[in-house]
Amino acid sequence: MIKFINVTKIYPPDIKALDQVNLHIKPGEFVSIVGQSGSGKTTLVKSLIGEEKVSKGKIIVGGWDITNIGQREVPFLRRQIGVIFQDFKLLDKKTLFENVAFALQVCGQTPKKIKAIVPQVLKIVGLEGKTRRYPREVSGGEQQRAVIARALVHRPKILLADEPTGNLDSINAEEIIELLQKINKFGTTIVLVTHNREIVNRLKKRVITIENGVIVSDQAVGKYML
Amino acid sequence: MFLLSLGRIIKFSFQDIGRNIWLSIVTMSILILALFSVNMLLTVNVISQAAIGAVKEKIDVNIYIKPDTEESKIMALKAQISGLSQVKDVRYISKQEALESFKDKHQNDPEVMESLKEIGKNPLTPSLVIKPKDVDQYQELIVNLNSIKDDIIESRNFDDHKLMIDKINGITDRVSEAGMVISFTFIIITLLLVYNSIRVAIYTHRREIKIMRLVGASNWFIRAPYLFSGIIYTVVGVSAIVVIYYFFLNLLQPYIETFFIDYDINLAAHFRDNFINIFGLQFLVGIVVNMAASLIAVSKYSKV
Repeated sequence: MIKFINVTKIYPPDIKALDQVNLHIKPGEFVSIVGQSGSGKTTLVKSLIGEEKVSKGKIIVGGWDITNIGQREVPFLRRQIGVIFQDFKLLDKKTLFENVAFALQVCGQTPKKIKAIVPQVLKIVGLEGKTRRYPREVSGGEQQRAVIARALVHRPKILLADEPTGNLDSINAEEIIELLQKINKFGTTIVLVTHNREIVNRLKKRVITIENGVIVSDQAVGKYML
Repeated sequence: MFLLSLGRIIKFSFQDIGRNIWLSIVTMSILILALFSVNMLLTVNVISQAAIGAVKEKIDVNIYIKPDTEESKIMALKAQISGLSQVKDVRYISKQEALESFKDKHQNDPEVMESLKEIGKNPLTPSLVIKPKDVDQYQELIVNLNSIKDDIIESRNFDDHKLMIDKINGITDRVSEAGMVISFTFIIITLLLVYNSIRVAIYTHRREIKIMRLVGASNWFIRAPYLFSGIIYTVVGVSAIVVIYYFFLNLLQPYIETFFIDYDINLAAHFRDNFINIFGLQFLVGIVVNMAASLIAVSKYSKV
């Protein structure tokens, strides 16, 4: 469950990135957030993962008030929210297996658990045969799948995908969306931030539209309106 | 769990150093130079202390007594001088002892020995050899000795040894000051270099750090490898200086022995006997300097 209660974010001197945003995303939902560049989508994503502190209002994730989250608590929040970005952010000198394992290593998981979890998530994203390949040896779509696998290793309740198809061709983009839908069916809440009109319209899921930091539309089965 | 994380931190730390190997080598070299200059300062100090000690050992004041003075009168004068607060020791050298010592000293000089034979009697006078308690009280002692009016005193020999000691002290102080400036400069350079190395390491790993933050690594886990690099620099630097400096001391030792002939100055032994004090302290200071530089760099640049 994600709740934004009257959330306002003002960047100095007086730029309102978010203005009185009220939002409620239920567990297991698939929500698309759409809006033009500078509409406030990125600020919303950053506030959700504790990268930005809001100026007013309250943000609750899974019953946890993260509005004034401390630096020491941020890592625990990030383990509950898987994040996928447009630029794949894989390490070039590590294989796909090592890239996914890295997320567990840096959080102190034992080698035994890493060996058990990583093949599982790589299988979920359809990369079971390419675990020893380096990012440069696979396609953009496969790289993004590896990023999704890495986001899944902590078994997050929420998966936040910020323009995950931005660097992909339409076939790969479609495959990534299918994968996100598959993950959503397992019960993970998906928050998809995108510009892609076709994808949003085909999903036939909830769509929230942001303009100038204000939610202008929130439709249960929505379309790309801008 | 803790040991596992610690193991990974150490591994990442070595990776950081390896990926910026040339910068790491430069950093460690400057650290070694800084430690070398500190040790040179210590060596100069050991040598100058030995030199001052040697000069102090040689300082004494001689009062020559008239040849036919009764021994009881000499003993009374000896007791009077011993009572002075600046006096450490007074030794009476009889006419006979003085002659034996003279003969012994000039046994290889036939001309002197022949002259002594020609005189036919012992030409030397008895004397009192006075050792001062403290060289700094030397002038006071001279004043007090000059104030003693006794008919049995034939002459007094007060060489100005203090001037020599002041000169040695002056040279040592200047060498120490120059050494301090050089050491301090190297320490500052080391601090800046370690700071820069960590900054470059963080820049090289900015993508990795970003991913670590994204997937929920703790701040401690992200920063610790860079702090640990500071410790590695110190361990390598101090270990290298131990090897290099002992090698240097062994090269230096023959020259020291030639220069300070008859004096037991063993630099390697001094460094060996004070190993923990000297190198342990350098290790601690190195750790503090490197950790401080790493900490500042990490807290400033690791927020990618």
